[in-house]
Amino acid sequence: MTRAVAVGFGAVFGFAISWGQFTSPDRLREMLLLQDPYLYVMMATAVTIGFVGARLLRRRRVRALLTGAPVAWATTRPERRHVVGATIFGVGWAITDSCPAPIAGQLAQGVAWSLFTIAGVMLGIALFFRRARVTTHAR
Amino acid sequence: MADFLLTRPPPEVIGLLLGLTVLGVLATLNQQLGALGGYSAVYERVTGRTSVLGWKAWFLGGILLGSLVFRLLAGANTVGDGYGWLTREFADWAVGPLLVLGGAMIGYGAKRAGGCTAANGICGTALGSPASFVATGTFLGVAIGVTLVIDAVIA
Repeated sequence: MTRAVAVGFGAVFGFAISWGQFTSPDRLREMLLLQDPYLYVMMATAVTIGFVGARLLRRRRVRALLTGAPVAWATTRPERRHVVGATIFGVGWAITDSCPAPIAGQLAQGVAWSLFTIAGVMLGIALFFRRARVTTHAR
Repeated sequence: MADFLLTRPPPEVIGLLLGLTVLGVLATLNQQLGALGGYSAVYERVTGRTSVLGWKAWFLGGILLGSLVFRLLAGANTVGDGYGWLTREFADWAVGPLLVLGGAMIGYGAKRAGGCTAANGICGTALGSPASFVATGTFLGVAIGVTLVIDAVIA
């Protein structure tokens, strides 16, 4: 059931980003060049809906439908890794004019170039785990 | 239908759908959504780090499915010809390696930052995580800055 629910919400997410044209590198570029406020208005709306809705769920002590546990989440204090990682991520975003969800959207829409970006994402994840293992062994 | 889908709706409509997705995942799975976690779940399963495929891989599969349904209903993709500024400025043989490089920075950077645009920029900030606010401000600022520099150079 968890899988079906995850696929269902992922499908809504994928349909929405395709409709909003976040799969288009040119659209993303216009936004990063500050020529088009669409991305920023969209993000502000999504964050506002999520912010208000999540607090309503918690205040009403709603239990998660599939787990039965009270809806709750943990927050994280900023660390150096958040700034360093986000900086590297931001450069990658500027080069590709895309990010993980839109890359998947591009693939599903038949854009072969996305295969290169996906290969890169997997390589980056592999590097992360390799570096984490080396760091752990060094301790 | 095709014309309707190939025209962007107001950004508030997309924002509403994405915000409701954040809430839906929270209210059913008690989890925070993210797209990079899907790629990572696939990697971890394939390399034997985990014995089961994490739920975020299924969420990523859903993104593929939803985008495919959109493509079929719209009758055209929303990416356009080529690949943005890269195929306009570089020969095709150079675009692939640049996308691999950019993709690797996205994969490594987002893993280190604890999330991508969806996980930090939308979900984490909606849940009030200070780390997500810092990560989002950083990657947006860097992406805007680097894009402006690239634009100035290629102009």
